[in-house]
Amino acid sequence: MIEVEHLSKLYGSTTAIEDVTFAVERGEILGFLGPNGAGKTTTMRILTGYLPATSGTAKVAGFEVHEDSLAVRRQIGYLPETPPLYPEMTVEGFLHFVARIKGVSAGDRAHQVESAMSRCGLMEKRTTLIRKLSKGYKQRVGIAQAIVHDPPAIILDEPTVGLDPRQIIEVRNLIKSLAGDRTIILSTHILPEVSMTCSRVAIINRGRIVATNTPENLMTQLSEASSYEVEVAADTDEAETQLISSLKGLAGVKQVERLTINLPEHRFKLRVTTEQGAESVGRAIAATVVGGGLGLEEMRRTQVSLEDVFLQLTTEEAPLETDTESQTETTGEAA
Amino acid sequence: MRVIIANILAIYQRELRSYFASPLAYVVAGIFWLLAGIFYTALLLGPDGVIQRAALIDLQSQQLGVPAPPVDAPTILLRFFLEALGFISIFILPVLSMGLYAEERKRGTLELLATSPITNWAVALGKLLAVVTFFLTMVLPLLLYQAIAYAATNPPMSVAIVLLGHLGLILLAASILSLGMFISSLTDSTILAAIFTFALVLLLWMIDSLSKSFSGPLGSVLGHLSLLKHYGNLTQGILDSSSLILFASYIILGLFLTAQSIEAFKFQRS
Repeated sequence: MIEVEHLSKLYGSTTAIEDVTFAVERGEILGFLGPNGAGKTTTMRILTGYLPATSGTAKVAGFEVHEDSLAVRRQIGYLPETPPLYPEMTVEGFLHFVARIKGVSAGDRAHQVESAMSRCGLMEKRTTLIRKLSKGYKQRVGIAQAIVHDPPAIILDEPTVGLDPRQIIEVRNLIKSLAGDRTIILSTHILPEVSMTCSRVAIINRGRIVATNTPENLMTQLSEASSYEVEVAADTDEAETQLISSLKGLAGVKQVERLTINLPEHRFKLRVTTEQGAESVGRAIAATVVGGGLGLEEMRRTQVSLEDVFLQLTTEEAPLETDTESQTETTGEAA
Repeated sequence: MRVIIANILAIYQRELRSYFASPLAYVVAGIFWLLAGIFYTALLLGPDGVIQRAALIDLQSQQLGVPAPPVDAPTILLRFFLEALGFISIFILPVLSMGLYAEERKRGTLELLATSPITNWAVALGKLLAVVTFFLTMVLPLLLYQAIAYAATNPPMSVAIVLLGHLGLILLAASILSLGMFISSLTDSTILAAIFTFALVLLLWMIDSLSKSFSGPLGSVLGHLSLLKHYGNLTQGILDSSSLILFASYIILGLFLTAQSIEAFKFQRS
């Protein structure tokens, strides 16, 4: 339904997205996950024909987004970051207007507007002026305008941002109810949101796709892999090197790394990452340390959280704080 | 083609409704009517008014003993009044056009329009038609003043001349609004849009007198661009095709630049 190949976008000399490739099948909900400024909005704007790409192709329902822009726009319902609303119009009047410019025929219009309003729970607000609605209702009107022409593809940019927890749940349920034979792409920087609504996740960082998988696979992959932190007392440096190499030889051990923490002399700390589904590695690690005549001062199992891996995937050498800061700035300019 | 017309109509109706729902539009209309009323009264009864002048001519002819040529005061009044309306319009119209796109940019609704299956041209044309229609509804009540003067013209004034004058007023307004729409598409500040539109319109209004300081072809080209000159021709009942072409050019230029600037706006975002 949606195919994106080697898509890149430069703003002057800044790269917003680089070589982004993914595909979404009919009926799928793809979650676009990434920190602020990672290029989510840019990708979505290219898909909707709002922005031209610098290079690469994007196709929606077989139409190229730039060459066949008008054809693509007919296939797509789009909710931008800020819902595009006319405050002086009523909910119903606004949806009628959107249905008209989206090319819904006069005969179908009343019915389509009605069904979009009932799906989004707007029936009791139909004659209310948009400027008098609460933020949650405005967001619903935003979603309603994206589905009023019953498009096969729906693109939602951060649909739950700025809502209270109850509204977030409502909007997520609404999005799930929209699936079926429609294709949905939604962007978010909230991890659990993806696992709750999406059938597939693309993690994007600094304009590049770093992982694509189903949320279940990502979750299992992440929750099964665990690691141990081991603090050892040893008299010599050779003992340390020897221990590391023998730990690496154990079955089920994926990686051993030395943690640089200030410790008293003759003490060191290791992180041993185990492979997925490996069992009783902890026992073997303890036995190795003690068997080598070393002192096992502390041993702790740490479960890798979803957040950890997300951060691992999305942060490089740069320290996290300054990283997100500079990227938020770029978003500010992009918006 | 039917789709395009349907789209233009959709934009037109939404825009027109938003004018009728906007307090600002009513304030503008109110000021317009007030100023028009003041000008009408001043032109008729003021110290330099039509009646005083007619009386002066009468007095002079009596003193000299020469029979005065008949003075048709209502016809002169109508012509002056139309010129005054044109003059008021250059202050009023930038306020009507300032929000056309600036407001959409500020609210983010431009993103809705730009991702809908509708061309920039259709949006611009629908908006222009809507704001011209709103201006027409502002002019309609003033026809009552003019009807009173028209009824008193002697010899009866030709309807064609009156209609031509009003056609001129509409073309003048459409030209200013079209250029104002373009300026509004360049910024998301309505105030800036109004100020720049006013400056541009004032320049196009005065360019006739400015052109006199240039000699040769440049001066005559500049003189032809003047809104005042061409509007003046039409209010006096002179139908010159060059005036019609000039106004049409301004309207089309405004539409074209608007469509282009929205396209460019999508490209240059950074």
